[in-house]
Amino acid sequence: MTITAPEATRVSVRGRSLPPLVTGQELILIVMVAALWVLLAISNPGFLSPFSIQSMLWRLAPIGLIAIGMTLIIITSGIDISVAAILMVCAASIAKLTAEGGWPFWLAVLLSLVLGTAMGALNGLFISYGRVPAILITFGTANLFKFVGYRIFDSNVITGIPSERSILGPGPEGQVFGVPIAFLILVAALVFFWYYLRHFPGGRHFYAIGDDESAAALAGVNVRRRIFLVYLVTGLLVGLAAGITIGGGTANLDQTVGKGTELMAIAATVIGGTSILGGRGSVLGCVLGALLVQTVASGVTQLRLPSQLSDLFVGAFIIIAVGADILRRRNRRAEL
Amino acid sequence: MPSNLFEQRAITTQTRLSLTGISKRFGGVQAIRMAEFHLLPGEVHALVGENGAGKSTLIKIISGAETADTGEITIDGEAADIRNAADALNLGVATVYQEAQLFAQLTVAENIFLGRELTKGQRIDWVSQDKLVREALATVGLKDDCMHRKVEELPTGQQQQVSIAKALVGEARVLILDEPSAILTDTEIDNLFAAIRNLTARGVSVIYISHRLDELAKVADVVTIMRDGVTLGTFPVKNLTIAQIAERMVGGRLEQLVSTHSFVTDDIVLAASGLHSGKFHDVDLEIHGGEIVVLYGLVGSGMAEIASAMYGKEPITRGSLHLKGEPYNPTSPTVAKDRGVSMLPANRKLEGMFSFQSIAFNISVGALNLMKKWGAVFDKRKEGLAADELIRKLSIKTPDQTRAISTLSGGNAQKVVLARQLVKRPDVLVLAEPTHGVDIGAKEEIHRIIADLCREGTAVLIATSDLAEALRVADRLIVVRNGTCFAEFGPEATQTQVLAAASGELTEADRLELGEVQ
Repeated sequence: MTITAPEATRVSVRGRSLPPLVTGQELILIVMVAALWVLLAISNPGFLSPFSIQSMLWRLAPIGLIAIGMTLIIITSGIDISVAAILMVCAASIAKLTAEGGWPFWLAVLLSLVLGTAMGALNGLFISYGRVPAILITFGTANLFKFVGYRIFDSNVITGIPSERSILGPGPEGQVFGVPIAFLILVAALVFFWYYLRHFPGGRHFYAIGDDESAAALAGVNVRRRIFLVYLVTGLLVGLAAGITIGGGTANLDQTVGKGTELMAIAATVIGGTSILGGRGSVLGCVLGALLVQTVASGVTQLRLPSQLSDLFVGAFIIIAVGADILRRRNRRAEL
Repeated sequence: MPSNLFEQRAITTQTRLSLTGISKRFGGVQAIRMAEFHLLPGEVHALVGENGAGKSTLIKIISGAETADTGEITIDGEAADIRNAADALNLGVATVYQEAQLFAQLTVAENIFLGRELTKGQRIDWVSQDKLVREALATVGLKDDCMHRKVEELPTGQQQQVSIAKALVGEARVLILDEPSAILTDTEIDNLFAAIRNLTARGVSVIYISHRLDELAKVADVVTIMRDGVTLGTFPVKNLTIAQIAERMVGGRLEQLVSTHSFVTDDIVLAASGLHSGKFHDVDLEIHGGEIVVLYGLVGSGMAEIASAMYGKEPITRGSLHLKGEPYNPTSPTVAKDRGVSMLPANRKLEGMFSFQSIAFNISVGALNLMKKWGAVFDKRKEGLAADELIRKLSIKTPDQTRAISTLSGGNAQKVVLARQLVKRPDVLVLAEPTHGVDIGAKEEIHRIIADLCREGTAVLIATSDLAEALRVADRLIVVRNGTCFAEFGPEATQTQVLAAASGELTEADRLELGEVQ
């Protein structure tokens, strides 16, 4: 018929094909990040020093983990704007318990995972079984969680956080062959979710739900349970991100921790090629998106440019990415 | 007509699917009454009837989307208890709905197995799945090179075939096709028929629902006709002409319903010549003041788009339009409204109602510029007066105008949406499916309101797929087929003539002949 197959964009894997391993948008992101790194390396030779790279990879870990969760959610055509608040509660809990409760760091992180999962599950419960729009319910729970967080801070900066926690930190204790363990955790999560989304029924069902929820239900997908699960997993990932954040070695923690994380995560997701309307997207893209946002931020600092420029670039990336998505959809519709 | 034409088919004990004494009531409406339906192995069994005759309800009962109040279903001689869609699937009854239930972003192979993936360990077993997908695609006549493409990349016809392939994976004994051809091109329809023959050769029984009666002779063995919730019987297709089937469907009850008064004036209000768009072509149309012109056609014929084009909702690519002698270029509804053209949209809930708002709001919202005081400020009092007047004039049944429109019955809500178009009497009123989903009483009143407007000189264009309505109100009835005006009838047209023209029994040659007669 009139439609020509876009052969070049498909990769055949053992006689079958899924969406390509690396999409066009992801390639563009890789090229952009690489170009920025070259630019920064030229303008500042110190940029490619082991220490600088280690610190960058370490800083990528928390936002990357949260962005993976956000991507899973947005693929199902949902959204979670409470991740920043979850991060704050988890981080504050770890800080308080290790600084004042004398808990060992690992135990506090474990609790953070439980807390994050519980908060994510609460979101999921309302959204899937309560059938409340995700943007509203997570807006509500965000404020709820923030209240809990402020109670933990008790209007004070938490001080005297011990530093034995550095296995998740950027320093030598938190490295394997010079690679930050936190970054390896991110890579492990990325590989797991990437594979899960492509090769597991549950993963494919996320796309189906985001595409057409009622059709998915008719096809026999347990839509509510899948949606519940996706928010729960995101909560878990945020709890992990909180562990890494505190693992960074700061002795003091104030109430601004995590602020703006939800927007960063959504930005990374959208820049990474995930459609905000659901049904399409990849976790690799979102981690690359996070890396790009972060590279831009450190680049602006390194080049001693006004820091607002970073916002300008990120804003432009988002608009371009969303525009590309809308155009793609519009073209597709016109063909049919 | 000789009665032996309607000799019913003998029912053997070897039925694949049998429905006996099926009844279903929705609230106060008896949707079907004591329906009988017997399907033999390997046959294509057409199910026809007008909108509201009970076809969809019957299909929903078979496919598990609804449960019958009374009656029995047996499949291959065994009593079947179908309570939900999963039960039906397990019994080998697969349904392809008119709207393809596919996921645009996933591949064909994935779509076919979605929700029941084959797994090895926890992982999807792509290799085994692909093998079965190839077989299913071959059965419906699709080449397997499409299996790894995203569904959104396929033409509509192939998507329909994918839906059928999806229904076939997993040993379907009965396949229900709900108006599969409504959105297909001719070639695609031929492919579909080939696929159906392929299936019946393997012993699958097919229930085929269609409004295009001309298709029946090509694809179906037998036809069951429904009218007013009752199955009238099952007949071999080759014994009947389209006209005879159509007569049975409508039951002769329309013959007496002919438009009784006419207010047609001599001046041409709206004139179109050579109009083209993506959905129709070569449309010539003239509507006089006080005249009711009805466009009648099947779903997908283009009649809805022709009507929308007059109101600026469908972009016109070529041709010219004149409104009261002046050139008229409706690029948007705003332009149309300014020139005195109004439109009642087809989908009341989506395009017509502001559900949470009051009746008064719903009436005034289209004409707020007429309800100002001090030159700029919205005047609630004027809104109230206008709303009250129209509520009275259109006899909208409500205690007061502040009620939310969503509290009204379908017919009354429709009258409110219609009232919005009448705050200021339009020169041209376009109505799309004006009485769809309203009760008989409200239908009568809406027709009366339209007649009143004509008396005052408004030119009316109605697009409808309700034949009874078309015959009843039309001063002139234009049958739209394949995107253009196919035939034109005066008020004395009969249902069989019109139905034959719309559904394809009349050929190009008949059409010319018809033109000479008039």
